[in-house]
Amino acid sequence: MLSVKTLQWMVYGFLAIIVAIVFQQVYTSMTEQGIASGGPYNNGAAYPRAIAITIGVLLVCQIFTDRFSTESEQEINSTIEASDLRRPVFLLVLFATYLGLLKTLGYHLTTTPVVLGIMLICGARNIPKLFLGALIMSFSFAYIFENILNVVLPGGIYSLNIPW
Amino acid sequence: MLIESLAMGFELFLTPTTIGLTLIGVLIGLLVGALPGLGPLMGIILLLPVAISMPPVAAMGFLIAIFVGGSCGGSISAILLRIPGTPLAAATLFDGYPMAQNGRASDAIGIAISASAIGGLIGGMVLIVGSPLLARFASGFAPPEYALLAITGLFAIAVISGGSLVKGLISGCFGLLLATIGTDEFSTGYRFTFGTHDMLNGFHIVAVVVGLFAISEMAYQIMGRDLLKTPNIKIARPGFGSILLTLRHWKNLVRSSGIGVFFGALPGAGGVISSFTSYAIAKAWAKPDEKYGEGAEGGVVATEAANNATVGGTLVPSLALGIPGDASSAMLLGALLILGFVPGPILFEQQPEMVGGIFLVYMSANVFLLIAGILVTPLFVYVLRIPKFYLIPVVLLLCSIGTFALQASVFDLMVMLGFGLVGILFRAANYPLSPIVIGIILGPILENNLRRALLISREGYWIFLDRPVSAVLVCMNVSLIIGAIWFALRKKKKNRLMAANDRP
Repeated sequence: MLSVKTLQWMVYGFLAIIVAIVFQQVYTSMTEQGIASGGPYNNGAAYPRAIAITIGVLLVCQIFTDRFSTESEQEINSTIEASDLRRPVFLLVLFATYLGLLKTLGYHLTTTPVVLGIMLICGARNIPKLFLGALIMSFSFAYIFENILNVVLPGGIYSLNIPW
Repeated sequence: MLIESLAMGFELFLTPTTIGLTLIGVLIGLLVGALPGLGPLMGIILLLPVAISMPPVAAMGFLIAIFVGGSCGGSISAILLRIPGTPLAAATLFDGYPMAQNGRASDAIGIAISASAIGGLIGGMVLIVGSPLLARFASGFAPPEYALLAITGLFAIAVISGGSLVKGLISGCFGLLLATIGTDEFSTGYRFTFGTHDMLNGFHIVAVVVGLFAISEMAYQIMGRDLLKTPNIKIARPGFGSILLTLRHWKNLVRSSGIGVFFGALPGAGGVISSFTSYAIAKAWAKPDEKYGEGAEGGVVATEAANNATVGGTLVPSLALGIPGDASSAMLLGALLILGFVPGPILFEQQPEMVGGIFLVYMSANVFLLIAGILVTPLFVYVLRIPKFYLIPVVLLLCSIGTFALQASVFDLMVMLGFGLVGILFRAANYPLSPIVIGIILGPILENNLRRALLISREGYWIFLDRPVSAVLVCMNVSLIIGAIWFALRKKKKNRLMAANDRP
């Protein structure tokens, strides 16, 4: 179970890390390059630092608003059930694996199983029909991109590309 | 100048590629508009990688046509399914669905398409006349004015986009920060590149936007319980007679189009506000026997004319000033920049043929919408019957191949996935995503002009108050923020009073 309040704190954490990275980079990499001081021409760090400070100030305002807000209590206390998250998590894991394997195994070896996998995650169960659908989708996209738009899709270590 | 620009643009427009892609763009737009959960913005984002490999006017024609078709397509599902395909069509429900229930689904869709196309053409006339005038006025602008205009655009979108002003501003600033990644144009130093070559030019905007919007949307769609459902919809066959039905409401049509153009030209306002406003005004001006809310033709005319006229309106500041009116026009500006054109007065002065070409593709997209929309509607009704479990892999596949095709880079795919996670998190915590896109587009304009303004200034930041136009823009920005805070406090007070009254 994940409450909106938890998600809000995750966003605060994420933004706080972003702000911290900006300052870390300004005082290390940018200072070493000599672009963290001087006038508007030379000082490439002033603008991102100003934006990071603005984000920090706005973040404090938002935390303050959330802390003392009474009207959005109902919204903040609303939750997302863990069972609702199962499918998106599976989808993202499968998609991340696909993107990771695309360069190694190539488009043609990875796409059909992934499309089939996504349809299975969605709850469809007619495997032969789904497999046919996945094949059609995968090859139609390959045809459009490779043949019509002249995009060379990743062939992987086996250099699998269809000479249309 | 205008005639010359149109004549030069005509040569670029009158090619089979441009005309064909504009027509295809309208059809794709109608499709993505009709499918609940997608919409014109998603259509533009998904097909941007495809478009940028084409000749410039054809590419812009393709994307603008998706915008035009997508702004209308939502009405099809609103009328037939009672589910607006896009928020733009939410107001079309009020009378469109009752019309369908009364056995007039074909008329309702026909009127929606005709009103959209005519509204779009009226918006186009304003675009053709208004944007060169605005560009001429803006040609006297210097870095301080451009910097402040960028801030105004960002403020306006943050204020209007998603409820909380602070969240909108945080999202906008996050976009501004993302735009700083890469090589600094002035000092040529590297910022936030972490020693990797992949980040020397920053993140590719398409990879970021596809992740933020498309990946996060699919993650949300897959949570739904209707993935295997095939909606039961009757076939609707609108005819060209619906154009006459629409023209019978000509006063409503012109008024609603005017409202649409006005709201479109205001950064951040967009089609949703314009369609609801024009519906409210049309209802207020209607005769009692028109029965708004029970299937009045005027209700469909008002909302659809307004939301498509908004497209023309939103392109006025986008093309003339380089300040996008909403996320969709920000993506169009992004495409224009990728294609090598800098929107704003310079585009009107140095590449009038491109401006003329854009005007012509916009107008032709609306003409195609009128003809093709009416002819192919039965096909879209079949598409609405496709269950979502087929749609989700198609979108994800398009996201990944499209993003890969940008630079044949696996790094872009990882960026897309990373921003998909950011998009999911931001959505879940109710942070609007549109200001991020606007921030990325406006970021370089803001930073470059801010630094240039400070370089030419002898008194530091006072330069922003010394010049009359920039002083007016400062006042506008200050009043925008004060107004937003005042409204937020008033709303809070009202809610508190209501909560107190509700307590036993």
